[in-house]
Amino acid sequence: MGLLTIIKKVKQKEKEMRILMVGLDNAGKTTIVKRLNGEDITTISPTLGFNIKTMTFKGYKLNIWDIGGQKTLRPYWRNYYEKTDALIWVVDSADLARLGDCRDELHALLKEERLFGASLLIFANKQDIPSALSVEELEKALDIGSISKRHCRVVACSAVDGGGLREGFDWVVTDISSRIYLFS
Amino acid sequence: MSRQITPEVVLAYDKPTKGYLCPLSANTYGIEFLKFEIKDYDTNRVVYQVAREPDPEPLPDSLDPEVENMIRSVKYTFPASFLKFKTVRTLLEFCVGPQPVGNLRMIERHFFKDKLVRSYDFEFGFCIPSSTNSWEAIYDVPQNSTAVINDYVSNPSAHKSDSFYFVDNKLIMHNKAEYQYVRD
Repeated sequence: MGLLTIIKKVKQKEKEMRILMVGLDNAGKTTIVKRLNGEDITTISPTLGFNIKTMTFKGYKLNIWDIGGQKTLRPYWRNYYEKTDALIWVVDSADLARLGDCRDELHALLKEERLFGASLLIFANKQDIPSALSVEELEKALDIGSISKRHCRVVACSAVDGGGLREGFDWVVTDISSRIYLFS
Repeated sequence: MSRQITPEVVLAYDKPTKGYLCPLSANTYGIEFLKFEIKDYDTNRVVYQVAREPDPEPLPDSLDPEVENMIRSVKYTFPASFLKFKTVRTLLEFCVGPQPVGNLRMIERHFFKDKLVRSYDFEFGFCIPSSTNSWEAIYDVPQNSTAVINDYVSNPSAHKSDSFYFVDNKLIMHNKAEYQYVRD
């Protein structure tokens, strides 16, 4: 029995994934996580800390860490990088005034060494708003083309009508499992 | 004394503890539970729900043991049908005081007739100073036979639990609960 077989056995037993969800405040992170299980999303207030969600998805145990995005909270994000398998960056696609801010925060985050191995999903949220940018427009505005050496995907979604959420999480879980649970 | 109580120690317990393994004053981080909810995931039926505001002032240093026991223990009454739920959704909300919390970990041990029936171990990790945080867990529960359900119903409070909270492996809170099940 080689080392790879042992690694495989350990990982198979746990089948756990740690997903970190960040982005500017009011991007819709908490609403996305709530919506994923069809919960009430009418009374969501700004996250002043974290919301963790533990759930099973496609046979994996997901621990999703949704961390508050307010400016005063962003310096604390670094405390949650350890052991992260995937990063979900949530964008308010209709908040044109803060796109530059959004791009800078994202690229700063991607420089973080502890996140080098993490898959990156970008949720282009709030597609239900008519003025929302499309995926193509956002990719340009956020300079997604410059992201290399990383599995990355942008998915259009609306936490309000639920569109795109499954597709995004499907991709994240498939991508992590093909990377980590390579042999299962 | 509480200095020696580590996660490894409590994970080895095979029955409920006699008394509390740390004083209330061990919670120097000002961690307070604000909300706890238990639901049947499939029907959304609420079996337990409690919410409160944070305490305006810290507790006094010395408390009457009876009062202390009231603060630190809960008696739950659940419908017997709870024992038949396939998937349970729990929501816990808590706030922390003005200092950062290093690595918060919860271990909860459930005993029935002094035998270990369940053990939960969850790492919250870092908590942002003065933050309010939540943990929502959706998990499948093993199916109970009719005989087991009858046993729980006819032995009220034989199901007990100890909840231990550690910060950086140091015990800072210890609470207890008893459960009784009544026919719907």
